[in-house]
Amino acid sequence: MRLSLEKLIPVPLKDRINEYNSWIWNQELVFNSGERISIQAPSGTGKTTLIHFLYGLRKDYEGRIYWSAFNMSAINAEQLSQIRASYVSVIFQDMRLFPELTAWENLEVKRRLTNTVSEYDAEKWIERLGLKDKLDRPARTLSYGEQQRVAIVRALLQPFEWLIMDEPFSHLDHANRQRAIALIREVADHHRAGIILADLEDNDFFTYSRKLLL
Amino acid sequence: MKSLQQKTLLRKLLLRHRSNNRLWAALIALCIGTTLLLLSVLIWWNFREILSGRGSNDSLGGTFLTVGKKVTNEKMGRPEMTLFTPQEIDAMQGAPQVQDVGVLVSNRFPVWATLNTTVAFSTEMFLEAVPDRFIDNRPVDWIWTPGNRTVPIIVSSEFLNLYNYGFALSQGLPQLSQASIQSLAFDLKIGRGQLEETYSARVVGFSDRITSVLVPQTFVDYGNKLFTGRETFPPSRLILKVKDPSDKLFINYLETRDYTTNAEQLRWSKLRTVVDAVASATGLLAILLMGIGTLVFILFIELTIARAQESMALLMQLGYSPRYLGRFMLRRFLPLMLAALALAMWLVMIAQYMAADKLKKMNLTLPHVPGWQVWAALGVSALVLIAFVSRAITRTIK
Repeated sequence: MRLSLEKLIPVPLKDRINEYNSWIWNQELVFNSGERISIQAPSGTGKTTLIHFLYGLRKDYEGRIYWSAFNMSAINAEQLSQIRASYVSVIFQDMRLFPELTAWENLEVKRRLTNTVSEYDAEKWIERLGLKDKLDRPARTLSYGEQQRVAIVRALLQPFEWLIMDEPFSHLDHANRQRAIALIREVADHHRAGIILADLEDNDFFTYSRKLLL
Repeated sequence: MKSLQQKTLLRKLLLRHRSNNRLWAALIALCIGTTLLLLSVLIWWNFREILSGRGSNDSLGGTFLTVGKKVTNEKMGRPEMTLFTPQEIDAMQGAPQVQDVGVLVSNRFPVWATLNTTVAFSTEMFLEAVPDRFIDNRPVDWIWTPGNRTVPIIVSSEFLNLYNYGFALSQGLPQLSQASIQSLAFDLKIGRGQLEETYSARVVGFSDRITSVLVPQTFVDYGNKLFTGRETFPPSRLILKVKDPSDKLFINYLETRDYTTNAEQLRWSKLRTVVDAVASATGLLAILLMGIGTLVFILFIELTIARAQESMALLMQLGYSPRYLGRFMLRRFLPLMLAALALAMWLVMIAQYMAADKLKKMNLTLPHVPGWQVWAALGVSALVLIAFVSRAITRTIK
């Protein structure tokens, strides 16, 4: 699945776009399947806005975003849900777990949607990230770091061709970050999936094919 | 880890804000509305059932009418003007509500009845004949062929009543039961002079339907031919099998042609108007109530969805499709809606059973199970309800 951005300009940032030299806003870009892209985005440049555009959560932009032939500004709700369930997975900066469900239930809500990952794998992955003992706890009682790890595993419990991440390790210490990176790399390799990681700083979490400045 | 069903998780996310009191209120409103709607269809259907004369309801006179031409001052002394022409009989076949037409043939020869008991009794009388299919409770020995010495007779039960309560009381004569009359044998003399013939006659039955003295058609035809030489005569009265005698079109048909009929039968017309008004008023109220019930139910579903809006939005962000979530919600509420409708139908069936039992004592036969029209009303209301509720769910989940 190829991702194309054509002269993308967020309406709220329209007046400020020309103040800095963005490699993404108002550019023509094509990301081929399997690419690993790092987007370095200093605060206020619209990092989360871009992730929301790519994932179809917001449409207040000019220009066009295409996932293969799907134009994200004209896509219908059913097609969008199909893309989200089977082609593009996401790790939100604000995690977005169901606070009233336990950690395990949060994972099961995603896993049961497509049933493409076994219960055994899901348990093994969460164990690798050190959360085996926290599975029965409601998500709202988990620390940010724990919630972030649940959100990471949840994003892997579906088939995907692209994994979009918005500051996915912001709440993790070095050891947990390395474990999470290893898991993501392993699963993404298995799916031969592309990665788009947006972060405030330059990083070498993955071996990137391109590094872009927002 | 324990295995979790997807629908268990969704129920936990989407239905935990459900208020059970509101749900019960919505279901009760729906059930009352549907019951009233079905009852109004039931009332209308039962009345139609009685009038259309299925079962033995024709003894009401509801389905068989005798029709004659009104005798006016202009027609007096001109009997040919009160006879039906073949064209008029044909036209009657095509009249509204008319299912069958028969002619009442009367005798064109003198008839005397003589009773040879201790009190000698003799009277002039008339005879009529109708096709056998118009006779209610036709006796097995209702047959006469030339050469038979015995003639069976059916008398209108009205005549017996007139005799018992009018004539017998005023003249000091004994009142007679149906059985005692049937046991009497009397002589029937027909014709005059040389051609006079005498038969033995016996009353074999009583008719609620036709106000006349009936003999088999073959006997009247035989007598008419013997004494007049003619085989057929234009009839002065017709007997009609009518689907719904209270139908305004049918009544108009009779009135515009100056035809008369038993006025008694037409009182159904007034009753029909009353029943129609009652059924329409109940129906209107029922549609209103069912509308309110449906509205309450839809508002309840919308409120449930609105309260679970955050979870709903996050589920869609995770890849759940609106259609899937809509179907999930509909599947949760559909059994409850159908249960309310089934309860309504059950109540209506009980009402029908009780009505049928009660009317049986009044000699009116109604089926114990409601007819297809009531089931159709149930089906249509179920479809309308499901359509409205699914539309509301689809519109709310976006």
